[in-house]
Amino acid sequence: MPADIFHLPEGQNSSGRLPGPADLGAARRVFFQSVAMGLAGAAVIGAGTKASAQAAGISDVDIFNFALNLEYLEAEFYQRAAFGRGLQPGDIEGTGTLGMVDGGKQVQFADANIGKYAVEIANDELAHVRLLRRALGSNAVARPAIDLGFSFTLAARAAGLVGPNDTFDAFGSDMNFLLAAFIFEDVGVTAYKGAAPLISDPANLSGAARILAVEGYHAGAVRTLLYANGFYQQTQAISDARDSLDGSSDLDQGIGDANTSNIVPSDASGQVFGRTPQEVLNIVYLNPNTQPTGFFPNGLNGTLR
Amino acid sequence: MSLDFSAPAHASAGPASLDIVGGRRAFIKALGLGVAGTAVMGTVGSTQASAQALTDTDILNFALNLEYLGSEFYLRASTGSGLSDAEVSGSVGTLGPVSGGRQVPFETRYLANFANELAVDERAHLNTLRGSLGSAAIARPQIDLGAAFTFAARGAGLIGPNDTFDAFANENNFLLSAFIFEDVCVTALTGAAPLLQSKEILSVAAGFLGVEAYQAGAIRTFLTSRGFFQQAGLISAARGKLDGVGSDDQGISDGATVNISPTDVDGLAFARTPQEVLRIAYLNPQGTPNGFFPMGVNGTIR
Repeated sequence: MPADIFHLPEGQNSSGRLPGPADLGAARRVFFQSVAMGLAGAAVIGAGTKASAQAAGISDVDIFNFALNLEYLEAEFYQRAAFGRGLQPGDIEGTGTLGMVDGGKQVQFADANIGKYAVEIANDELAHVRLLRRALGSNAVARPAIDLGFSFTLAARAAGLVGPNDTFDAFGSDMNFLLAAFIFEDVGVTAYKGAAPLISDPANLSGAARILAVEGYHAGAVRTLLYANGFYQQTQAISDARDSLDGSSDLDQGIGDANTSNIVPSDASGQVFGRTPQEVLNIVYLNPNTQPTGFFPNGLNGTLR
Repeated sequence: MSLDFSAPAHASAGPASLDIVGGRRAFIKALGLGVAGTAVMGTVGSTQASAQALTDTDILNFALNLEYLGSEFYLRASTGSGLSDAEVSGSVGTLGPVSGGRQVPFETRYLANFANELAVDERAHLNTLRGSLGSAAIARPQIDLGAAFTFAARGAGLIGPNDTFDAFANENNFLLSAFIFEDVCVTALTGAAPLLQSKEILSVAAGFLGVEAYQAGAIRTFLTSRGFFQQAGLISAARGKLDGVGSDDQGISDGATVNISPTDVDGLAFARTPQEVLRIAYLNPQGTPNGFFPMGVNGTIR
């Protein structure tokens, strides 16, 4: 189905166009096949050194460099969507291999208000990149290679948002932009939540907690906009895909339905979910085996990869 | 290795400029009258709560006070009833009643749904904290959900000095009332997280922090979609004035831009000490028990 079905007037939804659970399963199989094929044909850098990312032996520098990789991804996504340009020299160099960014363009927002959210989040994510780079100093990793083009299509196919041969343009409409943002936002929160108890220095913990809060504000806004527009099934499909990718634990939730909202993904104790670095990698790599591909075609820079 | 999260030399970017001077003046005036006319309990015994002296139990009980407030507010707004007797008892501190609050006549379905969700989440926080604290858990302190909102709204300049503000009258008032609390809970947890000794408790606090930030982001998004830029700016200015710290609170901007996430120039959410939080919850810059907690909070931090 065409990707622009997500551009809907407020208050409607396209639930009738979505595949059922069986179709979703088929889409997942196709997705994993295509990822496997991609890996088979590619020289995968760093696959042999894949970290199991256990708590022991991880330094604060390791953790914040891991976070910096994710902030590069978010900043490139939102900067391009909001302004049509990515991070500039001075904001991207560092240790590891500096990579290019593929895809991404300024979204022609039909609703100017959605564009304002994009601008705000783009500014926040740029600030996070600069803060982490400054805090890490000479230890900061360079921006790794980032794919903002076909990776979204792979993710959307896996979630069943589009058919197995369709493409998904994350920058093609207001609602595609929101759904693409949704793919990332909760992941950022769970990454910081999972990392918080691994941080050694209380001063560093304060910075992490305050970034976690900002990611939560962003994610809350994105989920609220999706909820008010009735995108229940699309978000559930993306949530299911993330949950399938990251491992066996149930660490993800959609936004609910017309009768019950779930703007805040949380467990029975009232906490947001936390993910290990490896669980986060499985999502951004778009495969459950932590093989570098997906949004980071050559993997992350740094020790957690 | 301690990374350098200190702010760079350049000046911090403040929120969009709003005409808040008049509102602030009225706020201070109203507060002065209010405190003078009230029998204030617990002032002498109030703790300065220096960071070094706080135990994890102190901090969790401090958070529990805020969860009592949030739970009672959202439960009453969404269902008309508050916490059960079993959820409010405690061997520490004095159990207090709740005044005010009733079911909000929501007109928008998704807002009514969200109010229910907020109530469920706050109640989950409360029961998690009570379970974790066990016999050390404080009782629910006295809570005012009636006059305190009028007091806060007058102080912020949302209404005139002789007007009343009914937080439960309609969904717009509910949203503005929720906004009074939500960012404060975020800053309370960002401030408390680095003070916790136990990594297990820290993980839970980070889990709560995430939830509060989602909630606050949602409330700010609803207010933005309804164009409540000036009202949110007034409330934010009042909170900033009350806590005694400059530049640690932001409204939702002016509509030309939006400001869902209140952040400093580094993209960091703000953090508040328990004292700063109490000044807002008590609705006076001296931290004298009053406002939403007429007899003060329970526990060692108060």
